[in-house]
Amino acid sequence: MFVLRKIGLFLLTLWAAITLNFLLPRLMPGSPTDAAIAKLAQNGPVTDATRAAIEAQLGVPNGNILEQYFSYLHQVLTLNFGVSYTFYPQSVSEMIGQAFPYTVILVGLVTVIAFVVGTLIGVLTAWKRNTWLDALPTLTGSFASTFPYFWTALLLLFFMGYVLHLFPTSGAFGPTASPALTWDFFTNVLYHAALPSLTILITSLGGWIIGMRNAMINTLGDDYVTFAEANGLRGRTVAIRYAARNAILPNLTGFGLALGGVVGGSVLVEQVFGYPGIGFLLFNAVIGQDYPLMQALFLLITVSVLIANFLVDIMYGVLDPRTRR
Amino acid sequence: MNPILEVKDLSVVYESNGAVAVQAVDHVSFTLEAGEFVGLVGESGSGKSTLGFAMTRLQKPPARTNGGQINFRGKDIRELDEESLRQQRQGGFAMVLQSGMNALNPVRTIRNHFIDIFKAHGHVEKGRWDSRQVELIEKVGLTRETLARFPGELSGGMRQRVSIALALSLEPQLMVFDEPTTALDVLVQQAIMETIKSLQKSEGFTAVLISHDLGVVLESTQRVLVMHQGRIVEDAPSRDVLENPQDDYTRMLLSHYADPRAEVVELPGFTHRTRPVADDAESAPGATRAARAAQREGRSADSAIVVDGVSKIYPPPRRGEQPVTAVDDVTFTLEPGQSLALVGASGSGKSTIAKLITGVEKPTSGAVTFGDLDVARLGRRQMRELHKNVQMIFQDPYSALNPLHTVEYTLTRPVVNFGGLRGKEARTRVLELLETVGLAPVEQFAAKLPHQLSGGQRQRVVIARALASNPQVLIADEPVSMLDVSLRAGVLALLEDLREQWGVSMLYITHDLLSARLVTDNIMVLNGGKVVERGKTAEVLQHPVDPYTIRLLDAVPNPARARDGVA
Repeated sequence: MFVLRKIGLFLLTLWAAITLNFLLPRLMPGSPTDAAIAKLAQNGPVTDATRAAIEAQLGVPNGNILEQYFSYLHQVLTLNFGVSYTFYPQSVSEMIGQAFPYTVILVGLVTVIAFVVGTLIGVLTAWKRNTWLDALPTLTGSFASTFPYFWTALLLLFFMGYVLHLFPTSGAFGPTASPALTWDFFTNVLYHAALPSLTILITSLGGWIIGMRNAMINTLGDDYVTFAEANGLRGRTVAIRYAARNAILPNLTGFGLALGGVVGGSVLVEQVFGYPGIGFLLFNAVIGQDYPLMQALFLLITVSVLIANFLVDIMYGVLDPRTRR
Repeated sequence: MNPILEVKDLSVVYESNGAVAVQAVDHVSFTLEAGEFVGLVGESGSGKSTLGFAMTRLQKPPARTNGGQINFRGKDIRELDEESLRQQRQGGFAMVLQSGMNALNPVRTIRNHFIDIFKAHGHVEKGRWDSRQVELIEKVGLTRETLARFPGELSGGMRQRVSIALALSLEPQLMVFDEPTTALDVLVQQAIMETIKSLQKSEGFTAVLISHDLGVVLESTQRVLVMHQGRIVEDAPSRDVLENPQDDYTRMLLSHYADPRAEVVELPGFTHRTRPVADDAESAPGATRAARAAQREGRSADSAIVVDGVSKIYPPPRRGEQPVTAVDDVTFTLEPGQSLALVGASGSGKSTIAKLITGVEKPTSGAVTFGDLDVARLGRRQMRELHKNVQMIFQDPYSALNPLHTVEYTLTRPVVNFGGLRGKEARTRVLELLETVGLAPVEQFAAKLPHQLSGGQRQRVVIARALASNPQVLIADEPVSMLDVSLRAGVLALLEDLREQWGVSMLYITHDLLSARLVTDNIMVLNGGKVVERGKTAEVLQHPVDPYTIRLLDAVPNPARARDGVA
C-alpha cells in the first residue's frame, strides 16, 4: 500500500517534470532557428525559403501545441530525442547511452560508497567518542572536506598523475583498450576512474562522518538507548540496532539529495579529468548550443533526481515504521 | 535480615570540563532488605535520580561515583567489568525509566524488544520465547496483540507497561522505578501504580520507587527515604514518616498535601479559602471582585467570556477511522473577576477549550464570544484586541521562555506591542511587572537568562509576560504541574493575589483537584469532551455526584489516605 502510493506519486511528478520540460523552452523567447538565422544574416539577407530549410533541418515541429505535446510524449517514451547538432549524425539517445554508464559508475557508485563508509565511520566515532578513534577520523574528515573540489582534483592530478605517474590523467580508458565486456577493459576503466573517485571520496566523506556522528551522539543520549543498556543488551546491539538505526534516518534525506545530484553535479569533476560522462557531455552541449542534447540531458537530470528521491522514500519506509501509513 | 543491596557512604559528583564539580549524592548509606518496597523521595535536584542511576550502574559521564560502596548481594557493583556488569543485569538489578514514553526504540516492534533481551542473556530457551512474551505482556495488563505493535502505536501508559514487562523479563531481584508515572494522566498513573504494587507482591522482587511525589510513595511503599540536597534526611517506615516525621524537610513536604475534599484546605503560605461555604459569605467577595474588575481602566463592563453550545470535531487521525469529538456541546460563562476550574484527565478536551477561547482553533458548532467579539470570526485587528485581553500561562515554564533572551527582553516585547510604551517607560513597566510577580530585586532578575532561574521563578516570568498586556482574562493551563510541590503554593498564591488585586478573571485548567480547590470559585468537570459536573468548587469536591469526578478524587495521591490504608 505504502509502496503503491509512492509509485503513484513518483509517476505523477515524473509526468509533471516531462510536461514542464516540454513547456519551458516554448515559453522562452528566441528559438534555435532564430539563432541560426542571426548567424547567417551577418553574411547577407536571409530568404523565407532559407528559414524553411533551416527549420526542416532542425526538425522544428509542426501542428498546434497539443499535437506537439503528444508527439513529444511519444518521443520521450520511445527514447527518441532526435539528432545531436554538434556530433551530427549521432542520435542523442545513443550519445547519452554511451556517457551514462561512466557517470553512474564513477560518481554514483562513489557517492554510495562515500555514504556507506562515512556513515560507518560516523557510527564508530560516536560510539568511541572522546577517544583517538573519534578524534582522528573526525578531524581528518572535516579537514579534507574543507578543500574545494577542483583544488583537490588538481592536486591529485599533479602529484599522482604528472609527478609520480601512478594514474592516468584523463579519459575513461586507455588508448589501447577497446570497449567490450572483458576483464581487461573493466580493470582499465577502474584504473582510469581511480583519481576522480578519490577526489569525490575525499571531499564528501567528511560530511557524512560528521553528520552521522552528530546524529548518533544525540540518539545515544535518548532514553531507549539507556533503557537498552539497563536491560543488559550487548554493546554491539545497542550501537547498531538502537542508536545507529535511528540516527541514520535524518541522514537519508541528505543521501537522497546527493544521489539526485550525481548526474547533474558531475560537470566539474568530469571536466577536470576529461572523463566522458554526462557532465562532460552537458558542458559540450551548452558550448555548442546543441539544443536536442541539452533538452534530453536536462530531462535526464530531472528524472534522476526523481528516481533518487523515490528510492530514499522507499528506504525510509523500510527503515522507519512511523512513515509507513 | 537478608540485605540485597547495601549502599555505604556513597558519593556521586558531576564533573564537566571547566565547571565546578557538583556533589549530587553526598555520603549516602542505606540497606535494602530482600522483598522490601522502598520509596526514595525528593524534589528536583535532590540527587534521587542520580542515586537511582548509580545503584544500577547506569550513570554516565560527567556523573562519577566518588568513594563509597554499592554492594549488591555482597559484591561491589562499582568494581564489575563491563561484561560481568552486563550479565548481572539478568537476574540482578533492573531499571524502569522516568519517561516510559521514550524508553522504547521507535523502529523496533515490542516483540523485537523482548527478543533482543532474550538473545542478549540466553536465559529463555528459544522455543519458549513466544509463550514467555505473552506471559509477560499479559502480566502488565496488555493484550498479546501489543507484541506486534511499534512503540509509536501505543499510548503513554501502554508504553510504560511495556517497559515494566521488559524489565520484568530479566527476572530481576531488584527493580528501580524512576518516576514511572510522572508524565502520565492521573487515572493512568493510579492504574500503573496498582500494577507495580501487585507485581511486586506476586513476583517478589525488591523495589525502589523514586518519585518527587510523597503522596504516591506513601500510598504504595513500606519504607521511605527522603533525600534533600544529596543527603538522606529521613529513613523510616512509611507510617512513621506520616505520623511522626523527624526531619524539618520531610515535615515541609508533608505540609503541602491536603485533601481537596476537606472542609478547610490550607497550605503553607496559603491560608485562603478557609471561610465556610455558606452562600452569603461566598457571594460577598465574588461581588467585590466583579466590582473591582469593572473599575479597571479602559474596560467595558461586558467583558465576560461566553462559551455557548460549543463543539469541536477533529477529522479522523487516519483514513478509515472515526472523527474525534474533542469538545461536545459545552456551555459556560466566565464572568469578570471570576475564576473557573476546568478539570479532567488528559484527552477530556480541557486544552481544546483553551484553544477555542484564544482563537487558535475554531469551533465546529456553537460560538465563543468575548464582550462583543465573536472569537471564531475575527479580523487581524480584532484578534489583536482579543490577545491583548486574553493571555495564556503555559504548563511548562522550561519551554515557554526563549532560552536566548533575557527576562527583560521577554517582557519588553508584549509591553511594546500591546502597551505601546517605548524606551524608559517600557523598562519601568517591565520592572513593575517583575515586582508584581514577586521577583525582587527586580533589576537583577531583569538581566537574567531563563537557565539562571529556578522552575518557580521561570513560571513567575511566564505569568509576568501574560500580565504585560494588562489582560482581563488569564487562561492558566496546568501552571503548577511541572513545579516542585514546595514551589506550587507560592505560584498559586500569586495567581490568587492577582485576581484579588487586579480583578483578572481566570480559567484554570488542571487535573490537580487540590490546586483547583485553592484558587477557584467554580468548577467544571470534563469527561470525553462533555461537562459531567459543575458547581461551586468546594461543594463539588466535597459532595461529588458524577462517578467520573469521584474517580478523579480517588486518584489524587494523598498521604492522609495512605494512613487510613496502612492503619
